[in-house]
Amino acid sequence: MKNILDVNDLRKTILRMAFKGSTVHIACSLSIVEILAVIYRSHLNYDVKKIDDPTRDYLILSKGHGVMAQYACLRELGLISKQDIENYFGDGTMLKGLSDSRVPGLEVCSGTLGHGLSVATGLALGAKRNQTHQKIFAVVGDGELNEGPCWEAIMFAGHHKLENLMIIVDKNNFQALAETKEIINQENLSKSIESFGFEVLSVDGHDEQELDTAIENLFQSDTLKPKAIVANTKKGYGISFMEDSNEWHYKRLDDETYQAALKELELKK
Amino acid sequence: MRDAFSTELIKLFSKDPKAILLTGDHGYGLFDSLRKKHSDQYLNVGVAEQNMVGVAAGLSRSGFKPFVYALSCFVPVRVLEQIKIDVCHDRLAVIFIGDGAGFVYSHLGTSHQSTEDIAVIRSIPNINILSPADRFEMISCVNLAYSLEESVYLRMGKSDVGDIHQDTPQLKLGDLLPIKVNKSNIHFIATGSMVKTAVTLAEEFEVSVSSAPCLKPINKEQVSQICQRNEIVVTLEEHSIFGGLGSIVSEIASEISQAKVLRIGVEDRFTKYCGTYNYLLKEQGLDLSSVRSKIKNFLKKA
Repeated sequence: MKNILDVNDLRKTILRMAFKGSTVHIACSLSIVEILAVIYRSHLNYDVKKIDDPTRDYLILSKGHGVMAQYACLRELGLISKQDIENYFGDGTMLKGLSDSRVPGLEVCSGTLGHGLSVATGLALGAKRNQTHQKIFAVVGDGELNEGPCWEAIMFAGHHKLENLMIIVDKNNFQALAETKEIINQENLSKSIESFGFEVLSVDGHDEQELDTAIENLFQSDTLKPKAIVANTKKGYGISFMEDSNEWHYKRLDDETYQAALKELELKK
Repeated sequence: MRDAFSTELIKLFSKDPKAILLTGDHGYGLFDSLRKKHSDQYLNVGVAEQNMVGVAAGLSRSGFKPFVYALSCFVPVRVLEQIKIDVCHDRLAVIFIGDGAGFVYSHLGTSHQSTEDIAVIRSIPNINILSPADRFEMISCVNLAYSLEESVYLRMGKSDVGDIHQDTPQLKLGDLLPIKVNKSNIHFIATGSMVKTAVTLAEEFEVSVSSAPCLKPINKEQVSQICQRNEIVVTLEEHSIFGGLGSIVSEIASEISQAKVLRIGVEDRFTKYCGTYNYLLKEQGLDLSSVRSKIKNFLKKA
């Protein structure tokens, strides 16, 4: 998986899908691009030819709203086709607006929030009991952490010392309708998670090197603790007029905004 | 019946090291022997039912056979969405046991009573519903649930109303079990605790009685035959008259027969007062004499 998953290309795919399907949830997909790219590229033991291999590592996208970012990765990995991207949201097509386990490469149904993390926790417990040394990644949103079951899972993982579980929080500081600090303030997120027995690092969620090192270091740590990374991200990252604004949680691209967004990505090349 | 449940579970757990019991801090005394014999196959997940179902889904994907135990007001009612999304959508073989269904926790009030569990679970695809009437049906149901490799909701209601069968019945998924046969044109179909009531009233009304330990799927052929051969079918359940056994039988009857169906169950109301189980049955019109009058009135009009 080396030398693939260029984040600029992934963002282009997201925009393409969003434009073709006239879909929402653009900004919350853009914030997790680096996170997914780094996991797939360097940390996930995952054979695209054997996606049902029971010994694979798991990447659980608990914040199902960011699914376009995962589709973009799966496109690069060859699991979904160009046609799938071009026909996004067409009648009778496979790719939905939230994560769905029927799609090859997606592990769970999510988007009704606070589910994926519990399933990931069960997978981590299963892998630990089976002594298979599988890693289980769960990508959750900071808005998603409003959900009680997330904290049930965090308490459980801490208690059972599930050292093979890594939660990555996409801390983009927004949720559907407003900034998280206006709704449920999560100022001390790292400390909160740490207090349940996790080893936690806080990183720039758009710095691939930093993410890479943090994942590496946490898994090399010999403490028997579950891991978490609080990835500080920007909602809408990569497109100047979408960044740090909540407008693009629900706004759709038109010709003009699509071309303007693409142009920005071209200039970054 | 609860002893039969726990004994069968121990037998299965001895054979299958991947079987694992998850409880949401419930089951006082029920799993003592299981814990003694198979401590590593018992997991108290804490008072966190939603996470428990997600964890069960993860364990199932990792090759384990999870049995998820709680009171039925929590599993399946509280965690309906987790059962739908995390388990049923992906056809995972997780067995849910909802204990104390109906009015077992009569003194504790509405929060611990569940008379909507069958209705809500029935509308979710890829899950079976079993509802045993006595310890013998329980033995059949636990083993059936285990053998299915599909998700199952096993409803455990009032467990000490007495035996219906003399021995463990052969149970094929969906089948009704004939309990009493009579030549009249009235047939009682009951499930769970209310099978006892049906049997008690059977002599008086000279009717046939069937027990329905499988509510989903249900053997449509058998139900159709009962509806075609009888003018009146009475369903009895310690569950809402909406969405449970009464609805199941009515749906089938409406397609193929002229039979009138009287649904005896919980009317559209919460319980109001505290009291014994028998008191609450009376409050809800499910005690023997209320059921008798309901049937008599129905027969007069029919």
